[in-house]
Amino acid sequence: MDGGKFFGAYRAFSGIRDAVVLNHVPVGCNWGAGMFRTISDQADVRQACTVMHEREIVFGGEESLRRALLRADELYDAPLFLVIAGDVPSIIGDDVAGIVDELSLEKEVLWTEAAGFSGSMRSGYEEALLRLAPLMSGCDTAEGSINLIGFCPDDFKVESDVKEIKRSMKRAGIEVNCVISNCSSEEFKKAPAAELNVVFGQGTDLAKLMKEEFGIPYTELDYPYGIEGTEKFIEYVSESLGTGWDADLEHEIEPFKKVYLYLHELCKTPVSIIGDFHAGPLAEFLAAELGFEVEHLSSSGSDLDRQRFEQEVRGSDTMMIFGSSFERDLARELEVPLVRFNYPVFDQVSIYDNAPYAGFGGAAFLTETIINAIMGLGDF
Amino acid sequence: MERQLQDSSRKGPSLLQSTFRERAFNGIYEVVARQNHFYGINCKLSGSVYVVSEIEGAVPLVHGSCGCAFHHRLSPRKLFSPISDLACTEMDETDVIRGGEEKLRAGIIDVYQRYDPALIVILPTCVSGLIGDDIPGVIESLRSKISCDILHAPSEGFSHRDGDSVEVSLKNAAKSMKCSSAPPTAQDLRGCGHEEMMFALADQLMEEQDVIENSVNLEAFGRHTYRFWNDVEEMRRILGKIGVELNTTVPTASVDAIKRAPSAPLNIVVTRNTRWADRMKERFGTDYVKKWYFYVGFDKVGKFFIEMASKLGLEGEAEDAIRRERKRALGDLSESRRLFKSYSFAISTQSFLFNPNLLSVYTEDLQMPLRWILIDSQPMKSMKISRDTVEMMTGNLIDIAEKQDMEIEILVDPSSEKMARVAKGVDWLLTDRTGPPSEKEGDLGMMNIATASNLIHQTGFCGIVEFGKHLAWKLQRRTKKDAQKDASNPHRKLIVSRFDYEEDCYPMIKDPMCSSSRRMWSEIWC
Repeated sequence: MDGGKFFGAYRAFSGIRDAVVLNHVPVGCNWGAGMFRTISDQADVRQACTVMHEREIVFGGEESLRRALLRADELYDAPLFLVIAGDVPSIIGDDVAGIVDELSLEKEVLWTEAAGFSGSMRSGYEEALLRLAPLMSGCDTAEGSINLIGFCPDDFKVESDVKEIKRSMKRAGIEVNCVISNCSSEEFKKAPAAELNVVFGQGTDLAKLMKEEFGIPYTELDYPYGIEGTEKFIEYVSESLGTGWDADLEHEIEPFKKVYLYLHELCKTPVSIIGDFHAGPLAEFLAAELGFEVEHLSSSGSDLDRQRFEQEVRGSDTMMIFGSSFERDLARELEVPLVRFNYPVFDQVSIYDNAPYAGFGGAAFLTETIINAIMGLGDF
Repeated sequence: MERQLQDSSRKGPSLLQSTFRERAFNGIYEVVARQNHFYGINCKLSGSVYVVSEIEGAVPLVHGSCGCAFHHRLSPRKLFSPISDLACTEMDETDVIRGGEEKLRAGIIDVYQRYDPALIVILPTCVSGLIGDDIPGVIESLRSKISCDILHAPSEGFSHRDGDSVEVSLKNAAKSMKCSSAPPTAQDLRGCGHEEMMFALADQLMEEQDVIENSVNLEAFGRHTYRFWNDVEEMRRILGKIGVELNTTVPTASVDAIKRAPSAPLNIVVTRNTRWADRMKERFGTDYVKKWYFYVGFDKVGKFFIEMASKLGLEGEAEDAIRRERKRALGDLSESRRLFKSYSFAISTQSFLFNPNLLSVYTEDLQMPLRWILIDSQPMKSMKISRDTVEMMTGNLIDIAEKQDMEIEILVDPSSEKMARVAKGVDWLLTDRTGPPSEKEGDLGMMNIATASNLIHQTGFCGIVEFGKHLAWKLQRRTKKDAQKDASNPHRKLIVSRFDYEEDCYPMIKDPMCSSSRRMWSEIWC
């Protein structure tokens, strides 16, 4: 199940934390994107809509866009407006670029076309990041620093994962310069200061462009789940930057000792996993470090993928599902625990930023979550 | 309906328990949707998808791009229960250029084979609506190949309601309440897809039936909520006492039950729109009676049942049944009513403005000595309701208070000082505000009755009885001094009270970005 290009663009743009997203769409698209976002952060609402209606279908939506931009310029104290043109303006042929160019606003305006029918969520994310690229400017290199690319502000555990990854990197003497797309516009502008771009799953097009424009090399790595996954990640980056790193993992293993009997018992437990680019690395951690039997691993891309996954899991011995909130019904049907790790998560919250799933600390917290989910099965 | 009636006969939580479960387990999701209405409204498609999800055996097929289906799995009216079985034609650029009819045809066949549904509902989106796909034509071409029912309902997101729709709706209701001699006017409020889908059921699915005398259909929905079965059961119980059978609920029923809905000679309509019932009247001659939300309290509920029964020629039976029901309810409440009489009350309320008949529930049914009504008109401001309409609504409440010849003072948006004086002057200041008390209400030792007071809205007699008993129990359990002691405890500081809120849009957090987003929506949506 893919959210489509509009959702991808929205997730990329809304990750610029001091920017306002102006959705040039009918009310529903604006509502939907906002709903998935505000579930995870109810106090961060910085989006508006041009409210395309039947009259815009007949007369065109350019006037609505013009009006909304002018009003937004007066109302918002924000440095940047990011316009997303959805299905309707794309079909009726609104000249979004023309409107953006003709207005002299106090704020900078960038825009992207993201009709839901014209691509996947990934493609919307990639294109939106490319549209942000003109913000970047050449700057002095911050030695031993990297950018992390591929994040979204509504990823489950995004804040704590980023914090933990930064902590882990720091141990190897590496600083995180910018997290894309979960940063301020100022941080984004200074992204070219990094020595290396690390791409997790998406954002490759921006990394390529930054290589061409600023000469910054990039690498595509697995999302760092587990002790081994994190170690591999840090090793690669520190080698690339030549910072060196002394892998003393004794301390990271310590929390697992407290539950070593449970870990013995859980070995060979059959599980199934569905998700985006996070799913593979998670499966690796579950299989290689916790000893689970991964029965089914699926991409959450298309409706067909999901259907197939559900059918396979129903016919399997799966004792635990890892996925998004959309897997809740399946887990309930099979009476097995569900661990939510992948977008969208709308029936759990993650507000404490020291409870990651990624990095060394994340390995312990994820394990704790798994054990508690199993032991709490049937709780009402 | 057979299945529903079987389900409803099971022993479940009490009405009161269900009400609290509703608040705790579903309310936690719904609050986000409520809050998001400060910044926008949901898509028309969401209402259509919601109605389809209420029908046993029906599968919605969204004819549009994948994002529409992705987002509508999370319908704002049931965030607590995402819709799993929702198919999509996943239109792409090629379909936009060449038309999406072939994809729709393939999608219908796929849904039929994958889900084995009793009904497939095609829901067009902005994209398919704009390119003008001939959906009825595609459905017709598949009739011989697909044995289940197929229908379609207009759901294009760009044909949403206007910004003044809430104002129009409230004004209409306020006028209807004012003029007791004329029946309330139903309102044709285009909008959130619910009505369009209901109309489609009446227009395309229902079939001519032999009429079963003395039976009714009840418009009811919310099968995933805790209160649904309690409320349907109470309605069925009272109808049974009158000699009326509940034929089916609509749309929450099986596909077969909805097809057979025309076997009832009468529909009970509970939502703001009657187009579906009008269509049933045209097609099958099914009459309808409107059960407005302001029909609350023993008197009004009784009147509704008698009005309903008179359409079936059972007025006498209804009068007898209602008399007995009322007597029984008053008997059940006698102890509580005695207790209430020994106190004096004020109530800080938002809901009295929307429904002034609530006053009668407190003063007549429960015999509560109510001295002050403190109206909080903040929701009106946040909904951009005109001063005229607010005055009309307030006037309705004053009229009812005057008719009752009671010494009740009504204060609109009183100051903190005034509220404090009122609180001092009564034994208990009640509040039906959902959520934590606002700053000015915080230290008054109020008793919050928001969740339990939802019971009053049930179309029946049990709700008020349960509410009365619950309130009596609370009064006996806790004194005003206890509440004041809690309020004055310096270490009792609610975390939610540490934030600043927008005065006109409580509980919207005070933040320049949120505030500007709110204003943008308010100004652009017109």
